[in-house]
Amino acid sequence: MKKFTLIIAVVLVSLVSLAQKPEYLQTMGETLGQFANCQSVADFQDLGNKFEMIANAETSEWLPMYYHAQCYILMSFIEQGDAAIKDSYLDVAEKSVNKLMEMVPGEPEVFVLQAFYLTGRLVVNPMERGQEYGGLVGQATDKALAIDISNPRAKLMKLQMDMGSAPYMGLDPKSFCPAAKELLASWDNFKPKSPLHPNWGKDQAEGIVKGCQ
Amino acid sequence: MKQFLFTGIILLLALTAMSQTVITGKVTRENGEPLPGANIYLQGTYDGTSSNHKGEFKLKTAKTGPGIIQIGFISYEPYTKPVELKSDTIRLNVKLKEAFNQLSAVTITAGTFEASDKKQAVTITPLDMMTTAGAAGDVYGALQSLPGTTINGESGRLFVKGGDSQESQTYIDGSLVSVPYSSSAPNIATRGRFNPFMFKGTIFSTGGYSAEYGQALSSVLLLNTNDMPAEDQLDLSFLSVGVEFAGTKKWNNGAITGTLTYNNLGPYMSLAPQNYDWPHTPESTTGALSVRQKTGETGLFKFYSSFNKDGFTVRQDDLDRSGIPVDYKLSNDNQFMNASWNSKLGEKWAMNAAGSFTNNQDDIHFGQTSVVRRIQGLYLKNVFIYPFSDKFTLKFGGEFFSKAYSQNVQMTSEIHDNSFTNHTFSGFTEAQVYASSKFVTRIGGRVEYSEYLDRFTFSPRLSTAYKVTGKSQFSVAYGWFYQNPVDDYLLYTNQIKPERADHYTFSFQSSANSRTIRAELYFKDYKDLVKLNGEEFYLPTNYNNDGSGYAKGLDLFWRDKKTIKNGDYWISYSYLDTKRDYRNFPEEAVPTFASKHNLSVVYKHWIGSIRSYPGANFRYSSPRVYNDPNSPVFNSRKMLPYKSLDLSWSFLYRQNIILYGAVTNVLDFKNEFGQRYSDNPDSNGNYRGKAIQPSSNQFYVLACFITLTRKGNANQLEKIE
Repeated sequence: MKKFTLIIAVVLVSLVSLAQKPEYLQTMGETLGQFANCQSVADFQDLGNKFEMIANAETSEWLPMYYHAQCYILMSFIEQGDAAIKDSYLDVAEKSVNKLMEMVPGEPEVFVLQAFYLTGRLVVNPMERGQEYGGLVGQATDKALAIDISNPRAKLMKLQMDMGSAPYMGLDPKSFCPAAKELLASWDNFKPKSPLHPNWGKDQAEGIVKGCQ
Repeated sequence: MKQFLFTGIILLLALTAMSQTVITGKVTRENGEPLPGANIYLQGTYDGTSSNHKGEFKLKTAKTGPGIIQIGFISYEPYTKPVELKSDTIRLNVKLKEAFNQLSAVTITAGTFEASDKKQAVTITPLDMMTTAGAAGDVYGALQSLPGTTINGESGRLFVKGGDSQESQTYIDGSLVSVPYSSSAPNIATRGRFNPFMFKGTIFSTGGYSAEYGQALSSVLLLNTNDMPAEDQLDLSFLSVGVEFAGTKKWNNGAITGTLTYNNLGPYMSLAPQNYDWPHTPESTTGALSVRQKTGETGLFKFYSSFNKDGFTVRQDDLDRSGIPVDYKLSNDNQFMNASWNSKLGEKWAMNAAGSFTNNQDDIHFGQTSVVRRIQGLYLKNVFIYPFSDKFTLKFGGEFFSKAYSQNVQMTSEIHDNSFTNHTFSGFTEAQVYASSKFVTRIGGRVEYSEYLDRFTFSPRLSTAYKVTGKSQFSVAYGWFYQNPVDDYLLYTNQIKPERADHYTFSFQSSANSRTIRAELYFKDYKDLVKLNGEEFYLPTNYNNDGSGYAKGLDLFWRDKKTIKNGDYWISYSYLDTKRDYRNFPEEAVPTFASKHNLSVVYKHWIGSIRSYPGANFRYSSPRVYNDPNSPVFNSRKMLPYKSLDLSWSFLYRQNIILYGAVTNVLDFKNEFGQRYSDNPDSNGNYRGKAIQPSSNQFYVLACFITLTRKGNANQLEKIE
């Protein structure tokens, strides 16, 4: 019954907003659909371009800017070149993350994105940035979890950081495997606010669990 | 429902497709190369596209009327163009201009080793400073594995590009440190006073530095202390030579750290063989307090204060009394305070205010002689920075430095009391101008007035850098540098002028893929060096500024963090050719502290499987000269070359416990720093000599670092990784 009401509510809400912004919802839906096809830096660059365009057209929506930043963070992970190039992608992501912090203060997904962005900075040079950025990632995920204890992406960010830094902390990365399995098992309990809201990360969680075996 | 909507949209699209404007063209860099992936869209609409691999794009829009085309790409200045959309085809070929970004723009590298993670032109990070084997936790020790420095094992101080150790100055958070080194006995190496873990960033300039810094002929070392700590914590350090306890308490906008350190080399020296007798082994107690407070949106106030007491007695042979051992006893009291406040003033203006105070007293007894030496230094500085634009920044400021130095010598029948006080007033201004992201010029000047000497000096400074490619750049620096004569001379006379060195530095640096290569050629022209004629050092008339000298050389640096997985190494080599005529030199000669070839090879490797970070450092310094009064030629004898292979090992026992061990000179090379001689000849007319040895051939240290936090996951890895 409850679920049914929820569906009705969601449909109603989407209908209302659809009536207002059909183009927004449709373009966002399509563009999000392209995430699955992106592999190269250039692919994500094109996708990021689209989100930038949407963000520019819909200045009151935070989701386009969110995905814009995410594209650039992902680019920094895929890029094979110099640290300077990776950092230039992250410079772009940083601007969007900072704007989002002002636009929707207290949105847990934005803190997750911030943690993701900081992880990107760390990965560019773990030896030199590990200590500083590791702490910053922890602070960002803590903020996300303080607002929404059930957010699986915040837990994922935390888990990845813990496992990544485990060898430097004198711990076995596999000691986090039970937590990873638990996270994956409960992943679908989290329901995003709308089909456009962040809903990524399950693949990564699956990857971690696979690596545990 | 969904289907219905979908059909509706299709219908809508079909309708609008009837009247379309096509915008087509190509996006290129300024040199004509295509820019793929550029973002092209009509502002405020959903009509956009990306350029393809040829830089070409085609954008269709059903909109009509006025519109604005936006074209953008990372690190390029965005392009906007208003257009009239009237269902025709608009052709647009756009050259995007590279955006100016100070962080990725060219930086002045001549003479400078900057240790900061943010800058691209980085060669040595703060972490490296701490983790270099053989440095034994000494800031100055770590710097001696960089090019441009010469190792002087009997001194431990910094000798840069043919300059004497007094020619280098140390600044902490913008303030001059009057007494940066611990007190030691003649021919026994000293260490820096400050714990390297206090600092987050280091700039080591071996020449051609900014007009902000004066009173240094050879180099400045700029140390920046840590900002706000992350959380409350307690650090316990147990070393084979002492213990340290540090506690940090954090609040919303501030934090306080208290540190207590006690070192005693006694137990260690009784186990490891020593070259000298120590009736009282070196012992020191330090208490320090550090406060951090954020002020407003952008400001940060830092305060550091330390109280230090140390002492020792070492037995040395009195060569003037047929080698009878005499005890050299030293006790030192040092109080140091340092404060800084950095803040923005309004939208653009920024201000850095800094000040330091030092009170340092040495009490020395040897034989029938007692010496009390006291330095009091007060330093105040205020710098204003105004960016007229991204490309043009103006910096100016003023400085006041007061130094009081006194020396009281009591011998069996005589007492000598000498002292002087000098106030130095300085002002400087400097402009940094970027002609483009490839070319930067820094031009400035500095005026100093020394009250005691009653002299004005003016020092012009100029440096530029030009980026040849994205990875490589040339940099040139030129300037005049003045410094007051050494304190020991100023005790007896103020009828001399500041000494001068002109620097000419030409450097090339290329960095790509975690590899850096650097080559630097320099020439230093020393003028007005103070000379002392005759034995009567107490006669003011015996001093003049007739000395001069030169230093020229080549510094090479290669660092590679890529080739060996989990490995990181650097090689540093310096060639130095220098001569000078100063102090009591009878003629122009190579000074004792200069060595022609200096080599340092540093290697570090992370071994994940055993959670260890071992490191090695090999250093070689070609034979230096020393003076033998029995020889007719001045500074004509050669010492042994200096050779040392140093190893260190860090092991992560638990996540908050680190074990650390290090040993210097594992291969037990024989190192000797020439000879010292009696002041007076014996009955046969011979001066009695004795080899100067290091206080021990090898040095071992074992340590355990424990960090306690509420969360329990921090460690002091940063310290010794």
